[in-house]
Amino acid sequence: MTFLKQWRFWLSLLLVGFCFYFIQPNFNSKNSDFKINFGLDIQGGYSYLLELNENEFKQNLLIKTIQVLENSYSLQSEIFEDQIYVPSGQNIEDLNNMVVQSLGLEVVDRSDDGIYLGILEQSFNQSLSEMTLNAVEIVRSRVDFLGNKELSIQKVGLNKILLEIPGDLDNNVKDVISKTAKLTLHIEKRTLVNSKVFLNEETGEEVRVQEIPNLTGDYIQDASLQYNQNEPVVAFSFNKEGSDLFAKMTSENVGSRFAIVLDGGLITAPVIREAITGGSGQISGNFTNESANNLAIILKSGSLPTEIKIIQEKQVGPTLGREGVQKGIYASLIALIAITLFMIAYYKVSGLFTTLTIVSCLGLLFAFMTLLNTTLTLPGVIGIVLTIGMCVDANVLVFERIRENFKNSTENPKHEGFNSAYVTILDSNLTTLFAAIFLFAFGFGPIRGFSISLIIGIISSLIVTYVILKFFINVTSEKYLGLNK
Amino acid sequence: MINFYSYKNKSYLASSILIILTVIIIFFKGLNLGIDFKGGLNFEVRSNLSNDQILNVFQDINRDREIIVKKEIGSDVYTIRIETGDDNASFIEEIIQIIKDHPEMEVLISEYIEPTFSDELIKNSLYAMASSLLVIAFYIWIRFDWQFAASGIFALLHDVFIAIGFMSLFNIEFNLTMIAALLLIAGYSINDTIVLFDRLRTITSDEDNKDTFSDNVNKSIKLNLRRTILTSFTTILALICLVILAPVNLTEMPIVFIFGVCIGTYSSLFLALGIVGDFNYEAVLRARDS
Repeated sequence: MTFLKQWRFWLSLLLVGFCFYFIQPNFNSKNSDFKINFGLDIQGGYSYLLELNENEFKQNLLIKTIQVLENSYSLQSEIFEDQIYVPSGQNIEDLNNMVVQSLGLEVVDRSDDGIYLGILEQSFNQSLSEMTLNAVEIVRSRVDFLGNKELSIQKVGLNKILLEIPGDLDNNVKDVISKTAKLTLHIEKRTLVNSKVFLNEETGEEVRVQEIPNLTGDYIQDASLQYNQNEPVVAFSFNKEGSDLFAKMTSENVGSRFAIVLDGGLITAPVIREAITGGSGQISGNFTNESANNLAIILKSGSLPTEIKIIQEKQVGPTLGREGVQKGIYASLIALIAITLFMIAYYKVSGLFTTLTIVSCLGLLFAFMTLLNTTLTLPGVIGIVLTIGMCVDANVLVFERIRENFKNSTENPKHEGFNSAYVTILDSNLTTLFAAIFLFAFGFGPIRGFSISLIIGIISSLIVTYVILKFFINVTSEKYLGLNK
Repeated sequence: MINFYSYKNKSYLASSILIILTVIIIFFKGLNLGIDFKGGLNFEVRSNLSNDQILNVFQDINRDREIIVKKEIGSDVYTIRIETGDDNASFIEEIIQIIKDHPEMEVLISEYIEPTFSDELIKNSLYAMASSLLVIAFYIWIRFDWQFAASGIFALLHDVFIAIGFMSLFNIEFNLTMIAALLLIAGYSINDTIVLFDRLRTITSDEDNKDTFSDNVNKSIKLNLRRTILTSFTTILALICLVILAPVNLTEMPIVFIFGVCIGTYSSLFLALGIVGDFNYEAVLRARDS
């Protein structure tokens, strides 16, 4: 019972226990915080990659900055390409470097005519990134309202959003996510100055209104689908501030029409019959149940900061992934059996240890994946196959070194052989590990899926080789190990 | 005992020929870029129709836009790739409608990538590959010597480049998954090379060793030969299982990888240590001894 004195024995037991403990939640139907998620390519579903418009955001940011310059520093300025031009003849001395920097700007050019200011790249990227996080929440609430519960949504890069919805697609999703939903209300205007005509392309209704909106959708608190004489309409209510503005606007313009404009297109332009003081209203227009519901959802969740574009769209039917996993499991099992047979034929008892090492390596890999809530994709499965390969390689390296030591009659051949082989294994695996970490950091989509399972796999392989394989080698007498010929 | 080091010049010649062939193949055949790198629509459909019948389904659409229909090896699944160009909302609608109107094609996967985004993906993949190469070079440089780092990176690029030529020759689609396959080859190749480097380092650090550099190289290879063959063999064994049983849209990846394993084994055995020798590493060792 000498093996009981080895720390490796107890650590091996601990590892096996750890694997069981963390893998088992995957097989329980009840919800657990720790579970391996399956990527869309495996379980089927829909993914969209959305991109917020960087240029539009930059323009908005410039406009905002101009307002700040005017309000806080009483400076008049204008947008010139993607810079701000502050003409001289006013207190431009106030714009010292500290002020400019605190506004997230930099001086591009300073001349007698005035100052040209540009947006600092760092602060631009930061606001872009914050805006995207904000947009993520808006998109999430929109898709949530449609009743898709298991969606995953995350910010990718500076201005992209990855939305993944497993299972069948709700056709409204695309409709709901891609609308900016900038709702504005404008009072009718009969003169040409500062006015603009909005047109409803479906009904042909058009109206000339004041260009600057009297009220925006930002004040909307709630919206829902309702019926007015069996026609679907969208009922909405303003918050306190919005209610006051709406009451003021309607009471001052009784008898005029006002335009309800969504993303630059007229929805409808009703006549104001009396002041509306309750802070709520209805939009009617040629709605179907679906379109009214969609509009209610996007009004409720707020408008997106810029126009949004779907730059990648993927739909995977459920059959392909299921077949893929099934085949992948068969392939792995058959590969494992083939490798086992080969290794036993070649290395005898030691070959059996290889199989046990591979199995525990896979166990540890899945335990780590569960613990980290990793998403397993098909390229990830291929990463796992590579892990098996590296694990076998580690075994072969160890066995060959020990065999060589037996041949050269080195002192303590098992121990020396394992140690010198492990240095080689460390060097070769760490190189791959570092490369995989960088791939994960810079890669996208399949590359990330592949590199994450490779990273976890290499770590698992290094651990089981050091603990479990070494334990087996230690406790087996040289005669049975089968490496001394 | 095979004198591997003496084959050095012959293998340089062989590799040069392979590299030139790859350049020629890529120049004339080009790469079969998937939508990841070109943008457009991609469908995987299961159908009993023939290749031509499927092409016929799309006969009414704009012919300026390239349509490729390809049957996946050993299955009833077809890949249909359609170029969309920019500003294409109505065109995409049209295609989706055509597919919907043909229930004899069961859609397994449909995918769209905006051409501008695919440019970004190319850039992104290049960054990812370049940065991991730099990390590999840096690590080998720290653990070994710069001669090893340069030679390891050269062997790795050699393998990946020839594998790209292989893909071009057999018209295998180049997409993000294939980038993962190429990285797999890179990982495997560097792994194999480092094991040999490590052996050479151990052998040459022995102070009693008075052998010539060429003898040391041969000794390193000989001592590791069994391991190299065994590992390549078991890896290929596992990959053959994957080829036979892989999900339909992933059969090409293990095939490319099997090729990569072969070329990677070749470059570790015949190229990597030869290049270290050509950096006059022998002199470095001699300087260290004295």
